[in-house]
Amino acid sequence: MKRRVGLPIVALVAIVALASVLVSAASGRPETKSAKGGTYTVGWESSFGWTDSFDPTGEYLANAFAINTNLLLRGLIGYNHVGGPAGAKIVPDLATKVPKPTNGGKRYTFTLKNGVRWGPPVNRAITSADVKYAVERLARPKNGAQYGFYYPVIKGFDKYAAGKAKSISGVKTPNPKTVIFDLTKPTGDFLMRLGMPAVFPMPQEVAKCFEGKPGAYGRYVIASGPYMIEGSDDLDISSCGAMKPISGYDGQTRLNLVRNPNYRASTDSAKARESNPDRFEFIVNANIDDIYNKIGRGEYDDSYATASPKVFREYTLNASKRKYLHSNSADGTYYITMNLTQPPFDDVHVRKAMNWVLDREAMRRAWGGAVSGVVAEHIIPNSMLANRLAGFHPFKTPGNRGNAAKARAEMRKSKYANSGGVCTAKECKNVLLVTDVRAVDKLTLPIVQAGAAKLGITFAARSVNGAYPVIQTTSKNVPISNRARWFKDFADASTFIGPLFDGRSIIPSGNTNYSLVGLKPGQVDALGVKGTTKGIPSINAMNDKCQKLALGARRTSCFAGIDKVLTQKIVPWIPYMWANTVTIISPNVTKWNFDQNAGFTALAHVAVKS
Amino acid sequence: MSEVVLDVRGLTVVFPTHAGEVRAVSDLRYTLHRGETLGIVGESGSGKSVSSLALMGLHNRERTRISGEATFGGRNILALSSKEMQDLRGKDIAMIFQDPFACLHPMHRVGDQIVEAILTHADISKKRAEQQAVELLREVGIPKAGDRFKDFPHQFSGGMRQRAMIAMALVHSPSVLIADEPTTALDVTVQAQILELIERVKRDFNIGVILITHDLGVIAETADTVLVMYAGREMEYGTAREIFTAPQHPYTWGLLRSMPTIEARLKELVAIEGTPPSLVAVPSGCPFHPRCAYAFAPCPTELPELRAIPGGHLDRCHLSPEIKREMGEANVAERLGAVR
Amino acid sequence: MPLYIARRLLWAGVVVLIVLLLTYAVFYLLPAGDPALRFAGKQPTPESLALVRERLGLDQPWYEQYGKFVKSFVAGDEFGWPGLGISYNTQIPVIDQVTERAPRTLLLILGAAIIWLVLGVAIGVLSAIRRRTLADRAAMGFVLIGISTPVFWLGLMALFIFWNKLGWTGGTGYIPITEDPGGFFSHMILPWTVLALLFAAIYARMTRNTLLETLGEDYIRTARAKGLSERKVITHHALRASLAPIVTMFGMDIALLVGGAIITESVFNIQGLGWLAIDSTFNQDLPTVIGVVLLGAVAVVIMNLIVDIAYAFIDPRVRYE
Repeated sequence: MKRRVGLPIVALVAIVALASVLVSAASGRPETKSAKGGTYTVGWESSFGWTDSFDPTGEYLANAFAINTNLLLRGLIGYNHVGGPAGAKIVPDLATKVPKPTNGGKRYTFTLKNGVRWGPPVNRAITSADVKYAVERLARPKNGAQYGFYYPVIKGFDKYAAGKAKSISGVKTPNPKTVIFDLTKPTGDFLMRLGMPAVFPMPQEVAKCFEGKPGAYGRYVIASGPYMIEGSDDLDISSCGAMKPISGYDGQTRLNLVRNPNYRASTDSAKARESNPDRFEFIVNANIDDIYNKIGRGEYDDSYATASPKVFREYTLNASKRKYLHSNSADGTYYITMNLTQPPFDDVHVRKAMNWVLDREAMRRAWGGAVSGVVAEHIIPNSMLANRLAGFHPFKTPGNRGNAAKARAEMRKSKYANSGGVCTAKECKNVLLVTDVRAVDKLTLPIVQAGAAKLGITFAARSVNGAYPVIQTTSKNVPISNRARWFKDFADASTFIGPLFDGRSIIPSGNTNYSLVGLKPGQVDALGVKGTTKGIPSINAMNDKCQKLALGARRTSCFAGIDKVLTQKIVPWIPYMWANTVTIISPNVTKWNFDQNAGFTALAHVAVKS
Repeated sequence: MSEVVLDVRGLTVVFPTHAGEVRAVSDLRYTLHRGETLGIVGESGSGKSVSSLALMGLHNRERTRISGEATFGGRNILALSSKEMQDLRGKDIAMIFQDPFACLHPMHRVGDQIVEAILTHADISKKRAEQQAVELLREVGIPKAGDRFKDFPHQFSGGMRQRAMIAMALVHSPSVLIADEPTTALDVTVQAQILELIERVKRDFNIGVILITHDLGVIAETADTVLVMYAGREMEYGTAREIFTAPQHPYTWGLLRSMPTIEARLKELVAIEGTPPSLVAVPSGCPFHPRCAYAFAPCPTELPELRAIPGGHLDRCHLSPEIKREMGEANVAERLGAVR
Repeated sequence: MPLYIARRLLWAGVVVLIVLLLTYAVFYLLPAGDPALRFAGKQPTPESLALVRERLGLDQPWYEQYGKFVKSFVAGDEFGWPGLGISYNTQIPVIDQVTERAPRTLLLILGAAIIWLVLGVAIGVLSAIRRRTLADRAAMGFVLIGISTPVFWLGLMALFIFWNKLGWTGGTGYIPITEDPGGFFSHMILPWTVLALLFAAIYARMTRNTLLETLGEDYIRTARAKGLSERKVITHHALRASLAPIVTMFGMDIALLVGGAIITESVFNIQGLGWLAIDSTFNQDLPTVIGVVLLGAVAVVIMNLIVDIAYAFIDPRVRYE
């Protein structure tokens, strides 16, 4: 009896199994579903917010870097767009290989691959002249380059920028496939500087129409990567006057990218770019809740937005949704900045005491808790120093809540405090503190105030909407601010050290060395600094030394050393958090990775249900 | 006498309010004939307007208690439904009011408002109605009626507005026309014209007119019969001749005495002492007794009945017929300047 | 009347220019920091900052900039008339930005205006003629809710209920009617209703109050004395006289919404003028700010004029020379 019943069932199962094998064999594909196809939709909070209207020469917005390096544009070298330390590895992109510098670290020679072409409507091969054109374009002051300060290391750059030369002597193009860079001095991170879109090749025939008009080219960007702006093939480039902005990007609310027919995957590596979706849509949405609603429903796949606490909770507490939330190190530090020229912070003991007393855990909670990041142990995030300084936490306190006793013990050594370690001098009362009006600033301010109060320091807090212009104006002599944070430009510690702590970076407007580390007496008058201007410590020499080293362990150790000196001896900051980027994606996303270099979703590796 | 067109018996109007019951009109009775002008006279708050509005059914049904009988066209119009009243209003009974400027809609043309009155109760073409309206305007003495038809109320003078109001009231040849203080807001010269117009209209259309006023001079000129009201009650009711030659009620004497005339040279105006009572707290007994110079024992407690004295007319007073006659004559003589 | 209109239009032009002048002044006097910094990148050198300022025209004193602006405004520039220049932020001509977004805002206002006018007046009339009954109290309750409910909450709730849960309407975003009429209406019905609710409440209350006042007038008594049905008395006499304040308010409300329907536009992601105004202000994008302010000022001034003219038609006692 059993046998007879069993036999038909076994037969049925066998037939079904055979059938499915035959079917999949017939379709010629592996068992797993193909990742290709579909549209990856990104909801963008409130407005694109470009710094230079998406014109690569000046565009500095991190989201633009992500779109450009993952999808739209290729440079001589690039990254694999993955997370963690592997994301900082430099790989060849348009060049055949990553060159080792010659001539004492001052010469980099690149050979362009075969078969790399511009997208429609330019269509021709990408040549070395396109690279030189891009560099010279950014050198010309009227083109609004916003991170041009990285490139004067190229010989002849400044001379050309000043109009005293017809071309940049340090960029040589002996033939259409070869580019040679000659530098004024060995610069270890030069390759990383070449990984930024401003120096990616640019087609002169199109870009020349926008000479002297920063941002204008942003609506006509010609693709060199796997995707192009939708409608590029309809662009009429017969003359400058005939050009109308590419239809797939309306400048304000929508950016659509489709596959670039002239892109050859054989000239690229799947490790760097998989190019799975057929289409990318970036949609500006004024309603943040709506963005996350749509992600939940699968109408959007991803977002460039900051989720509200409610959405955070929903995705962290709900087990089935937890897998759609990704938290990755953003390679950035949130910190309290103290101005070394302004009492009472002109006394290092006061600065150290502030580091002892601050409740860093509370600050982190104000930002959203564990999801937002980890408490900072020193200045530069560990991921950028290859974990060389992991565990180096000179001001460590139990639970990171601060230690008033240790703080006061430190205060006692300062010239402002009494024997109890509490500041009694008038310099500690009503110290100007500049803060911002965002919700989180209202939460972090009381924490800072509470800590300082234990040391007898009180603040006159001034809230400014968009506080950066105030604290970036050196002549305003702002003593302290809780507004600041800093993210890398590329994965080298020099992007922290230089702009933040090198005395030569101090400028009157737009200054980012808020603490005025390395300030020299000669700079004082021109900058309008008033206060303690003598004996300000400097790391300029150390910075120069480390900058010369090539990328690698020695260079990393060198910069780690500067971090140690700054964090422990000079103490210009109270770093409190190394931020995370939190990304929430929709259930339709079948593959997701983090691009450590760009600090966002690795658009080059995502896949979505079609 | 000609046909009775309106017969009012025991008309009472009460407004229940938070402060108490307002007895605006108590037990009013009179009879109106075709071709007769009944003048209802009294101070403000005497209930004269309220009683007429009750006849028109213009009070808010939910907030007014009306009782009594008003027989018109064989039915008690006080008992009709609001739809039935609406049918009568402007057709069989019409009313004009005191301030013709406020009484005409400022944003519609005068002619259109008259046409509206016509079309409400007649199913004729607009053109015909317009023709009729122009005709009426001409009849009430408005010059260039055809042009003035298109004007707005603010383009009319006071007198002309009142003429237009009268025209509007007459569109359907009503049997009764109630004129509530029609001349109070007008100049003296215009007053006379309007009163004359009302008189002519009364004769031409053969209607009964109720003329409400506080001005005895107006009554003297036009009324056939007179009804004196005080605190919502009827105090004296008779023909104009009777009231003016032989007034019987102390209140009427006071009214007549307080009228300045050309003949009598008075050193100062004689007013009736005191003020009319609040209708929420009407004095007990005879409502006039607190101000009456002749009040005696029964007055504060007993409400006098409306009675005709022998050889006289109806009044509501406890005084004996003899005293009434005597005082009445004295009052008249005083007024005619015999006393200097 | 034509002379009056001509004079008013002339005045309107002067007012608009003054408004723009004030906008320039405020923009430069506000302590928001150097706008050039916004477009100069991280760590700009003083030279590059100077170049940015020169390019944006920020190196000149504000009254000179204003003068230049007026000239190009009146004469037109390379992008058309009036000459409004190019946005600092998006490099799109301001005219194009404004004309792209204006229809969305105008259609939003138009739809909402129709709804709130009809709904508000109807509720107000109902409430007035059924004074102190349940209907009146319910209506005034609706008014209270409509006026006190924050628009963004209402919008988010409406989206949640009608789009997210019930799926009856389209969600956020705007679809041009020329592209897909069905989609246009399905996406606009919620923003229209949400925007209209607040105003409907205000209009209901205003209509009720004005109507009650009017119903006490003598000419209403006359109308009733003529034997007119109560319905005719209300519509033909009372409402007609109550129109004036409603029309005045209507005109002004529409004008103010041109630049002001910000919350509704942002909740429903309509990308209209209100949103443009906010965004360009935060980005210190002066030309766009000017463009939106200009449109708003023109709207107010023109609606003012229209309302005044309408007034003359409504109330014949009012005459203009």
